[in-house]
Amino acid sequence: MNLLPFTLYAAAGVVYAVHFAKRRPSVGRAATTLLLLGALAHTFVIGMQTMEVRHVPFANPSRAVASFVWLLALSYLYLELTTDERAMGVFILPIIVGLQAIPVFYPGVENPDPVLDSPWFWVHVASLLFAYASFALAGMLGLTYMLQFKEIKKKHLGYFYNRLPSLHVLDAMNSRAVVVGWLFLTLGVVVGVVWTAQARALAPENSNLQAMSLQDPKVFIAIVTWAVYSFAMFARKTLGWTGRRAAWLSALGFVIVLLNFLPVSYFVTTSHTFQ
Amino acid sequence: MHVFLLGVSHRTAPVDLRERLDFASRDLGAAVEALATRPSAAESVVLSTCNRSEIYVASSDPDRAREELTAFLSEYHALPAAAFTPHLFSRDNEAAVRHLFRVAAGLDSLVVGEPQILGQVKDAFQTAADRRCTGPTLSKLFHWSFVVGKRVRTETGLGEGAVSVSFAAVALARKIFGRLEGRRVLVVGAGEIATLTAQHLRTNGVAEILVTSRTQAHADTLAETVNGRSLAWDDMAQGLALADIVVTATGSPRPIITRAQAEAVTRKRRPDPLFIIDMAVPRDVEPSVGDLDQVFLYNVDDLQTIVQENLTRRSSEVTRAEAIVAEELAKFSAWQRSRSAVPTVVALRERFDRIRRSELQRLDGKLAGLTPEAKARVDEVTRLIVEKLLLEPTEQLKGLPDEETQVAYTEAINRLFRLRAGEPAPDPDDTATEVTPADRRGK
Repeated sequence: MNLLPFTLYAAAGVVYAVHFAKRRPSVGRAATTLLLLGALAHTFVIGMQTMEVRHVPFANPSRAVASFVWLLALSYLYLELTTDERAMGVFILPIIVGLQAIPVFYPGVENPDPVLDSPWFWVHVASLLFAYASFALAGMLGLTYMLQFKEIKKKHLGYFYNRLPSLHVLDAMNSRAVVVGWLFLTLGVVVGVVWTAQARALAPENSNLQAMSLQDPKVFIAIVTWAVYSFAMFARKTLGWTGRRAAWLSALGFVIVLLNFLPVSYFVTTSHTFQ
Repeated sequence: MHVFLLGVSHRTAPVDLRERLDFASRDLGAAVEALATRPSAAESVVLSTCNRSEIYVASSDPDRAREELTAFLSEYHALPAAAFTPHLFSRDNEAAVRHLFRVAAGLDSLVVGEPQILGQVKDAFQTAADRRCTGPTLSKLFHWSFVVGKRVRTETGLGEGAVSVSFAAVALARKIFGRLEGRRVLVVGAGEIATLTAQHLRTNGVAEILVTSRTQAHADTLAETVNGRSLAWDDMAQGLALADIVVTATGSPRPIITRAQAEAVTRKRRPDPLFIIDMAVPRDVEPSVGDLDQVFLYNVDDLQTIVQENLTRRSSEVTRAEAIVAEELAKFSAWQRSRSAVPTVVALRERFDRIRRSELQRLDGKLAGLTPEAKARVDEVTRLIVEKLLLEPTEQLKGLPDEETQVAYTEAINRLFRLRAGEPAPDPDDTATEVTPADRRGK
């Protein structure tokens, strides 16, 4: 079922790349349309899965990845429609397509532990996924900032110079994406902590819940992520770390997020799995 | 109706002659009105810029149009025709259309791809249209040329990249800062280059321009012309701390901004980037200043290199732009051919319909017994037969591939059906008498 959005995303990715190279407005509109169709199909898929299992499907890592992709596609579309800048698509779509491949090839089964049957769980996961989508945008904005910065600094005005928005705009969008991501990350973590404490009392027999602590790599890295983005915001405000440094930080932050999201979720986490 | 063009451009005439044939400095509208009184210039547009004066008319007789337009140029500008005829160029029909498309695309400009020309073409058309000097042919032609200009601009890199040093500097500033509104500029030196760049930045909406020069009076003068504020020479460091963009263009033999100074200033500044444009030769800013984080330093050679690259890139886009012109020219010509078929098609339709109606009238007596519904039905059926018979020939005639074939076909139809204007149309009753009674019985 995840194949249709995957195919549409992949097609959109190709068309975004053509648009980036050729800069034809009509090609750009086609790319946006394809992405929009992909996101709509994906909305439908997630809606169907929600009806099927009677809750939003992200209790297993693959479905969480699919939901993340869906949120990223929507956030990117929002960014594109509000700023009228299509150049970022060629950087975002590879993430979307690459991650959407996971649920396509490893669908996983949505069979959550009954202990997860709480509204808090959905707030926790949804906030974190949305935070990660924002960080993905920020990371790509940071990457493009660095590419463009390098070209202007070295006085080789070439490929990216003619295609990307100005440094100022990239920096401003990056800052906004980091703030939004940080807010949702904070919300997600706080809800997670509070709710774990409650659930422990309710389900004393659940070994996962009892073992949940900072020693779990997934929880630990989430806290590291939070620290990195908190520092990025603090440094921007007080140390004047805007522009290139902010760009570096947000790219670094996103690498940590991806690390936590994929290898850690699938292989390393000890207590953070509820199947 | 053919398009005919007569004029001078930077390719055919020296600047002093172009100046004497210029329309834009005087009332262009009045000129078009005066022109439109000539018989072959009933539809006319005058395009006059500093690089060209071109008259476009819709006329089917190019030789006569050439004569009349030459006479008009001579009278209007009070110049003997002999003074400019060697420099005139003319284009007829497709060549004229192609020329206008190339002009609108910026392909015929002195600086290929320069952006103003499309606006000038639009203005030229609007002026003529306001005076009701345009008609269906030129109206369609010019609107089509706007499309060509827009397509070339959006689909090729022909107009991309600055092709002068001060434009290149502003383009870079925009790439760093986005919009320049709210940005502060410090101009060091008050020479010609400094003035030009400052004015350019001003028109791009910078918030404040600070000017400093070793000679205070020069700084004051420049500050006044660009609506800025002058700063004492000794307060330059203060200006550096405030500015986002610094333009230096002094005649100083030694650098004015050293690395040590710049470092001290950037420590105090807001963390935003600092863009320094060193227009001076020898340089005013130590090159190592460019190594500082958040400082972008460009000297005049760097900007010149950018300009050169842009010019090269533009010329490599010419082929793509020419392809668009050729494509649109083909479409326009097809439209024109389909349009020139219209009078024949209309005449043919009228002829067929007249025959139909007269036949119905003749049969009126025999049809008297029918109910009104049945009569309406008969009318409808005959109408449909005529329409269906005409449908295919009409389509074929409109879609003919080239003008020669079109003329031949139109001619043939005109002859076969005796449609030619001026000839009396055969009386429908005559045609009716050609049908023998035996035929009628056979119906």
